[in-house]
Amino acid sequence: MATEITNVVIETLPRFEGYVYPNEAGTHPLWGFLIVLYPYITGLVAGAFIMASLVRVFRVKPLEPVYRLSLLTALAFMLCATLPLLFHLGHPERSYQIMITPHLTSPMAIFGFVYAWYLMAVLLLELWFDFREDFVRWSQTATGIRGIIYRAFTLGVTDVTPPAVALDAKLGWIISIVGIPSAFLLHGYVGFIFGSIKANPWWGNVLMPIIFILSAMVSGIALCVFNYMFLSWVRRRQVNMPCLDMMGMFLFYALVIDATVESLDLIHRAYSAEEGFHVMEYMTQQKLFYTFTIGQGLLGTLIPLLLLGTLQLVRKHIAELNRKRMYFASAMLILIGVFAMRWNVVMGGQFFSKSLRGVMSYKLEFAGAEGWFMGMILLSLPFIILTVLIKLFLNERFPATGELSLSAKSPAVEI
Amino acid sequence: MHRPIMPPQVFRLVLLTIAIVASYFMARWLLTPATFHAYGFYRGEALAEHMTPEPVYAGRNACGECHEDVVKKLAAKEHRTLGCETCHGVSQPHVENPDVKLTKIGDNHCLRCHEANGARPAFIKQIVVKDHFRGDKCTGCHVPHQPNEMP
Amino acid sequence: MKTSVTRRSLLAGLGGALAGLMTNSLAQTAKAAVKTVFVRTNAPRGYDPSKHKWLMCFDVDRCIGCGLCVEACKTENHVPQGPSYFRTWIERYIIKRPKPGSGSARGEVIVDSPNGGRDGFPPTLVPREDILKSFFVPKLCNLCEHSPCVQVCPVGATFDTPDGAVLVDPHYCIGCGFCIQACPYGCRFLNPETKTAEKCTLCYHRITRGKKPACVEICPTEARIFGDLKNPVENDPIQRFINQNKVNTLKPHLGTEPRVLYANLDKEVR
Repeated sequence: MATEITNVVIETLPRFEGYVYPNEAGTHPLWGFLIVLYPYITGLVAGAFIMASLVRVFRVKPLEPVYRLSLLTALAFMLCATLPLLFHLGHPERSYQIMITPHLTSPMAIFGFVYAWYLMAVLLLELWFDFREDFVRWSQTATGIRGIIYRAFTLGVTDVTPPAVALDAKLGWIISIVGIPSAFLLHGYVGFIFGSIKANPWWGNVLMPIIFILSAMVSGIALCVFNYMFLSWVRRRQVNMPCLDMMGMFLFYALVIDATVESLDLIHRAYSAEEGFHVMEYMTQQKLFYTFTIGQGLLGTLIPLLLLGTLQLVRKHIAELNRKRMYFASAMLILIGVFAMRWNVVMGGQFFSKSLRGVMSYKLEFAGAEGWFMGMILLSLPFIILTVLIKLFLNERFPATGELSLSAKSPAVEI
Repeated sequence: MHRPIMPPQVFRLVLLTIAIVASYFMARWLLTPATFHAYGFYRGEALAEHMTPEPVYAGRNACGECHEDVVKKLAAKEHRTLGCETCHGVSQPHVENPDVKLTKIGDNHCLRCHEANGARPAFIKQIVVKDHFRGDKCTGCHVPHQPNEMP
Repeated sequence: MKTSVTRRSLLAGLGGALAGLMTNSLAQTAKAAVKTVFVRTNAPRGYDPSKHKWLMCFDVDRCIGCGLCVEACKTENHVPQGPSYFRTWIERYIIKRPKPGSGSARGEVIVDSPNGGRDGFPPTLVPREDILKSFFVPKLCNLCEHSPCVQVCPVGATFDTPDGAVLVDPHYCIGCGFCIQACPYGCRFLNPETKTAEKCTLCYHRITRGKKPACVEICPTEARIFGDLKNPVENDPIQRFINQNKVNTLKPHLGTEPRVLYANLDKEVR
């Protein structure tokens, strides 16, 4: 009896317009907030790493002050990347099966290996080669838990003679070179997870992996800007303006390329107007107005382009304080905008029916394993981990030694 | 004087890599279910597990054993395309134990198919209920097993 | 000299023997496990999946939208009663007459599936004189040759059986939902109780015992046609269907090669 009443109540609530397949007419989307969070986090990882490789591979000297921070940012977010997935699974206790019997035709299964490769063979290795000398030196003076950690991370290797350090630099450089395509693979694969779904015209197209990679670059650089400025403010240190200006330049050009390719996607869809176009257009206007037009378009793309573009054109005429404000504002807006983009991709694909005849309304819960609250916790977790990493590895009491340190090259900044 | 084969940091890393890769393959060997790959990339046991649930409906061939006369009557008339359970519902408990009675068919079960509906194809006879009903139930005037005859 | 050769060859021999032992024992274990599977799980013995190829077909003109199949499927397979859990469902298409003078061949298309059609369809609100064409379309898993759902499963929990069904292993599925997103036909859903993907199994537990799927048993008008392509019976309904009808499939442009055939399918059906 109770079930019948519940059925009647559920059926009379307007959960969809037009016609949707019965299996799509539920109250909650299949992939919710957590699945929006996952590409966001992996994108930040890839982008932060590219920021770091700009220094090591392309030898962009002005960016040196932010090198280690970028790498640690990438690590902090990488460690949390799989958590949203784990919380979303129907059976997280069976998640190990992805590594034990990986179905190699599935992008999700391949991602398990791409993730493991990137974490271990790229990120951790590059970090180790960069920090190894410091681990050895720091472990000689540090006491307590900190000393134990430093000693553990030396992996028992205590050779810090110039040839060994030079070898570290060389190997780190090789890893960085390998890391650039690996970073593209990491986030490109997430894009491919969506791009491979031919059943859904919102997701299944060729540009999807490319758009994901480009927006990942943009979001990662913006995150580094934010982290750098925030950390400087917390430590009451002066921001290195040449470094910030250089980050702003890369951010601008990355955003231009990203906006171009995303616009290409939209223009192509509208022009070729294939079968599902009308329902997708309707869905975008109705369900995604705030997140797409306002969030991704206006706030996330147009305004940062104007701010950063102005900074590129007339930088010399803008006072340092105002430049810092503009960079910070752009970075925040871009971070919001890229999150909105992930939302629009993941949720947009679920707001219209595969029958191409209807649109759905879903509820997104606040509480529960897949709710907003859990999402907020998972989003703040990388920042907490980053704080711990900074306290351990970017500590002012344990300054860096070696070529890529800051105290040697830019005394104005001590990060 | 023992010269090292390779630099110490590389040597440690190679050891670590070998350890990680070896433990991965060990884990795969230990944790892959036994019947995996029996028929394809899945647990072979799953195929058998899908066969084990007991069928709920008895099926069209189950009733003729005891109710041959009704089945013959039905086979001659328009309702020959129906199964017995189409109207009588789940009958397996009755097949197993004939003392178990079937659930009573609702009086309006006939309307499920015969109520006029704009989308219904014309080959099925349809009625508009308010224009048709002269009694309380369909079976007052119609015999389901022989639709054309009067009771 | 002599010692090192002997030692090397001994090591090689041991290594080879170990490898052989391991792989051989693995194969033996797998074969034995499969044999015991049927004993342990009480499955119908003597059923060889490779000797059958099941197929379901539909004659759209014969479906009257009674929805008894949807109800039967839910009963037979203990599908959750909620409004968005269907292994099979019915869609009603109503194509209106074009507006006079508009120059269109056909008018507006209205599609609905109230509760999957489980309780039948309420009479349409479209007046009879406005209806140009209308029909009911039953839907379920399309038994694709190149199932996109199987392709994307990360762990091998959903699979094509040798006898033509597509099944989900509920003890192995991790509930990621990728297969549900990848199915173009909307035939999969996440079971809220088991938290695994679920879909039409062609009533595998029935067909392996020589019965028909519940929906086919219940259908009053022979709109659902079911049979074994490898073992046609006398006057086989599938063979008759194939011989007598021009057939269509759903969403052929996606390349999934659905095996489920529809006769008299209108262009408006997605």
